[in-house]
Amino acid sequence: MINHFVPKNLKEALTILNKHDCYIMNGGTDLMVQKHVSTGLLPKFDKDVLYINNLKELDYIKKDEEGIHIGASTRYVEIENSPLIPNIYKRVIKEIASPNIRNMATISGNIANASPAGDTLVPLVLNDAEVVLTSANGERKMKVDEFVYGVRKIHREKNELISEIVLKPQELSYFYRKVGSRKAESITKVSFLGGVKIENKVIKDFRVSFGSVAIKTVRNREIENKYIGRNINELDINEVINDYAPLVTPITDQRSNKEYRHKVAMNLLKKFVMDIKEGGINE
Amino acid sequence: MKISFILNKKNVEVDVSPSMRLLDVVRDVLGLTGTKEGCGEGECGACTVLVNDEPYNSCLTPIINVANKEVMTIEGFRETKSYRIIADAFASQGGSQCGFCTPGMILATYAVLKKNPHPSEEEARLALSGNLCRCTGYQAIVDAVMLAAKKGIEL
Amino acid sequence: MIHQYKDSVKKVDNEEKMSGMAIFTGDIKMDDAYFAIPVRSSISYGKLLKINVPNLPKDYSFISAKDIPGENVCNIIASDWPVFADKEVHYKGETIGIIVGPNKEKCLELAALVECEHKEFEPVFEMVNSYVHKEFKKGNPDKVFANAKKTFSESFSTGYQEQIYLEPQAMLMYLDGEKITIKASMQCPFYIKKAVVRVLNCSEDKVRVIQPAVGGAFGGKEHYPSLMAAQLAIAIVKIKKPLKMIFDRKEDITFTTKRHPSKTEITAYLDEKDNILGVKIHVGIDGGAYVGCSMVVLSRALIACNNTYTFENVHVIGDAYCTNKVPSAAFRGFGSPQSIFAMELFINHLADFLHVKPLDLRNKYLVKTGDITPTNGIYRDPIILKELMDKAMEMSDYKRKLAEYSKPGSNRGIGMSTFLHGCGFTGSGESTIINAQLKIKKDKNDIVTFYTSQVDFGQGNRTTLKRIVVDTLGIPEDHVIYDAPDTDITLSTGPTAASRTIIIVGGLAAKAARHLKEIWKDGEEQEIVEPYVGPDFIKWDEDTMQGDAYPGYAWGVNVVEVSFDPLTYEVNIEGCWSTYDVGHAIDERILMGQADGGLAQALGWAYLEKEEAENGMFKQKTLSDYVIPTMVDLPKMETALIDNPFPYGAFGAKGAGELTFAGGAPAFAIALEQAIKHKVHKIPATPEYIMEILENED
Repeated sequence: MINHFVPKNLKEALTILNKHDCYIMNGGTDLMVQKHVSTGLLPKFDKDVLYINNLKELDYIKKDEEGIHIGASTRYVEIENSPLIPNIYKRVIKEIASPNIRNMATISGNIANASPAGDTLVPLVLNDAEVVLTSANGERKMKVDEFVYGVRKIHREKNELISEIVLKPQELSYFYRKVGSRKAESITKVSFLGGVKIENKVIKDFRVSFGSVAIKTVRNREIENKYIGRNINELDINEVINDYAPLVTPITDQRSNKEYRHKVAMNLLKKFVMDIKEGGINE
Repeated sequence: MKISFILNKKNVEVDVSPSMRLLDVVRDVLGLTGTKEGCGEGECGACTVLVNDEPYNSCLTPIINVANKEVMTIEGFRETKSYRIIADAFASQGGSQCGFCTPGMILATYAVLKKNPHPSEEEARLALSGNLCRCTGYQAIVDAVMLAAKKGIEL
Repeated sequence: MIHQYKDSVKKVDNEEKMSGMAIFTGDIKMDDAYFAIPVRSSISYGKLLKINVPNLPKDYSFISAKDIPGENVCNIIASDWPVFADKEVHYKGETIGIIVGPNKEKCLELAALVECEHKEFEPVFEMVNSYVHKEFKKGNPDKVFANAKKTFSESFSTGYQEQIYLEPQAMLMYLDGEKITIKASMQCPFYIKKAVVRVLNCSEDKVRVIQPAVGGAFGGKEHYPSLMAAQLAIAIVKIKKPLKMIFDRKEDITFTTKRHPSKTEITAYLDEKDNILGVKIHVGIDGGAYVGCSMVVLSRALIACNNTYTFENVHVIGDAYCTNKVPSAAFRGFGSPQSIFAMELFINHLADFLHVKPLDLRNKYLVKTGDITPTNGIYRDPIILKELMDKAMEMSDYKRKLAEYSKPGSNRGIGMSTFLHGCGFTGSGESTIINAQLKIKKDKNDIVTFYTSQVDFGQGNRTTLKRIVVDTLGIPEDHVIYDAPDTDITLSTGPTAASRTIIIVGGLAAKAARHLKEIWKDGEEQEIVEPYVGPDFIKWDEDTMQGDAYPGYAWGVNVVEVSFDPLTYEVNIEGCWSTYDVGHAIDERILMGQADGGLAQALGWAYLEKEEAENGMFKQKTLSDYVIPTMVDLPKMETALIDNPFPYGAFGAKGAGELTFAGGAPAFAIALEQAIKHKVHKIPATPEYIMEILENED
């Protein structure tokens, strides 16, 4: 017997989670596809379901010294329209699915779904964003990069809920490209985000993340640190490519093939580095 | 469980699983068949309904997510002045062929124009990019949206 | 651009469709209907030794070949596709039987429990085993080719294409007394009727087919509904309960018929002055496990394979190949877009090979009135291709762009295609196979009613056919009644296919209306049954593929402009311009809808819509993986029609439905070639394929 829990508030939700192992239903745009059976039939779940989309307590965007806090049930459309949200996130979100879906879907859901093609993971990982995990026993924070550790694998304990996302604004210039199957409503074949901060031709910050090319979003701090402090004139494109090439390990599936994904990922990285050398990253 | 919401400006209460798709609730439970299912996975937009004036894919919406919200399907929208203007624009430009995408397309058009009363063609295309049509090649639909914008949808 | 259409009337079904009041099959309320869930083969090829059916609860049944009262044949054109696989299975997904019962979930559960014991055979997925072979010649190719000074050969391939009508396949069947009554999403009510009569071995009056609103078809509902109807009919005579079979999108994409993949090889034979002496063309199409309608698709592909060019000597060979995959069937164009794609690219590549301008080479061989067709018929109508080309070039600023995009470093390209479509059934099919009959009658109040079996699945023919009768009779619109087909009331005017609705049925409707007008007596009941009589110049021999293949041809030109991103190999369509000669367009707005819609589908086929079969099963099974163009993938489309009235059609109209599909893919591919500075030989030209071209040739 599957239970469907519709809590009135966060506290009640957490009490339920303390006793029941649940799917957490938010905007529904992933879970309702995954659990769909057939027209006219209820979605089929193999464990209890907790519905959190209507929790007003989780619908907010606010800013403080720690960062920008986005409640778990805040929808993409609200994020797109909020003056508090850094442009890079808006840029990424605008290319996700369709306007209809963005009226329904949430960023917390995108994280929890932990698809290698999850588009928000790319800027979240690059910009050190955190998830706040809340349970009846308290809360803890974790970098999104650590929280998602594989294909549909996240470090959520059964009694926990992603209650909030904390964005950490960075002083970076960005280069972003999503490459999908078509221009709208497309599932990502490969995506690239580079962020850089340059002062007097010296690289002060350098970050790269790739989506859809490995079991999770690719980011490597060791490589990044190697380039921090370098003069842009000493940035060697081939060196950067060689550093990242082994980390990009895409698969062939019904949407694309591994050769294409790898090649495009490297083309975009090359473009990013060339633009840095030419002083041209200004998104 | 009992779930209440406002459908086409009237309060309704249904006694169903909170997981039931809004699409199945309006079609099977409430008998309103103007909302269509073209894919069941949020790609085609034939199931578009308005939730608090925003277009939703009702095939991916668990009914509980619209509890106490205002839902508008084509059956309610066709009673409005805005519908008449949009429908006439679609008729004049040839925006409807087989008609399966049309109710969703018309609701999505309303939502676009409500948010942005004078969109450029490019903005109109982007705003309707979640509604697929296989008959028209879209040009006639874009022309219809522009015509409706020109006439003003009388919000 | 907001259009003012001067010659268009309000579409009769506009209001019901926009308001959501139109009733499609899935909207019909029938709470006591049982669900029918197919049980499908899990293997591609093998002997079916035993079917193990689980214990079925009360009210649930398993219906299979053993329950068939008549012939186990789905009446398509060939009689080889069984309604239920019996002794052998020939493709993964072939229907073994259906589970019927009152609860859908239970039916699905039971269907999953049915197991088959097989002896598996080695399946064939490649185009190697021909099951239909055709060949014909014009001139004296054997002799001429032997004396050629040089030759140029190339090979082209095209992929599967799924119709993606927005409404998936749907059928409802119930008993009205003894009569089996069918409401379905369909193109051809009489095809369905015939299929049921044949599988049940019952009399014609036991079956009635009524058309509800149909949400798109494009060929995909020409034959497949016959299979569904035959399956449900076997069940309904046994269990006597209303039945419904409504496919989810995934089931529809995975198991219903698609456009034939093709491989075309062309060789041009040239003399010492680089004149084309003739061409040899082999067109191969992948028909899947059963022939179905593949021989007719092959015919069309072969007849169209010279496209808009006249060559003196021609040797055409075609094969439809049997593979252990879902059978391929009708889709807008019916084989001809595949061979037209090949010829358009070939002529461009040949120009490069000969160091001449493609436009000059095309013009040199462009079809003129009076030319001999590849099947030794005659192009009789006035041909205005040059005008169409000039207009399209002017609209698109073609010549300037062509020169500009040739410059090094340009990532843009512009491509032009010319094309034709033969309207109506091939050859004398209209007179010998279809024999359309149209009934028109008038009551005492002078209200005229007429009947056709044409389905309006969006093309607007309910509006146009009615208008033909209204205008011919010169009476008010509301004095004419024209409803959707019902096989108990309507005589068959043939299938809604082959771009025949306006040119053939429209012509017939006009003729019937003229005859009614001639004998018109106010206040009297009058009725006319008008039979189709083909133009007497049409002589066709199907066995030798010789003679006039079609009563008339419609013509078109597409120009497509693209840009290419060398970082991601993505292509963007920047603009489309088209000109058409469809005779006289009766309703310009409806015609424009056909123009844009056909081109959009063709462009999807050209670069987006990838459907790969792997081990006999389609890899792209959902609308997120099989992607069709969205509103932002397509550009503004501009279309011009040039009037060229056709003497044998109603009000000078020719067919237009399929024509608009024919030229999009080659125009796109030619534009792409300019943008990437490499040759293209395959569609869909996905970014992955473009990368492969650039990597391999660099």
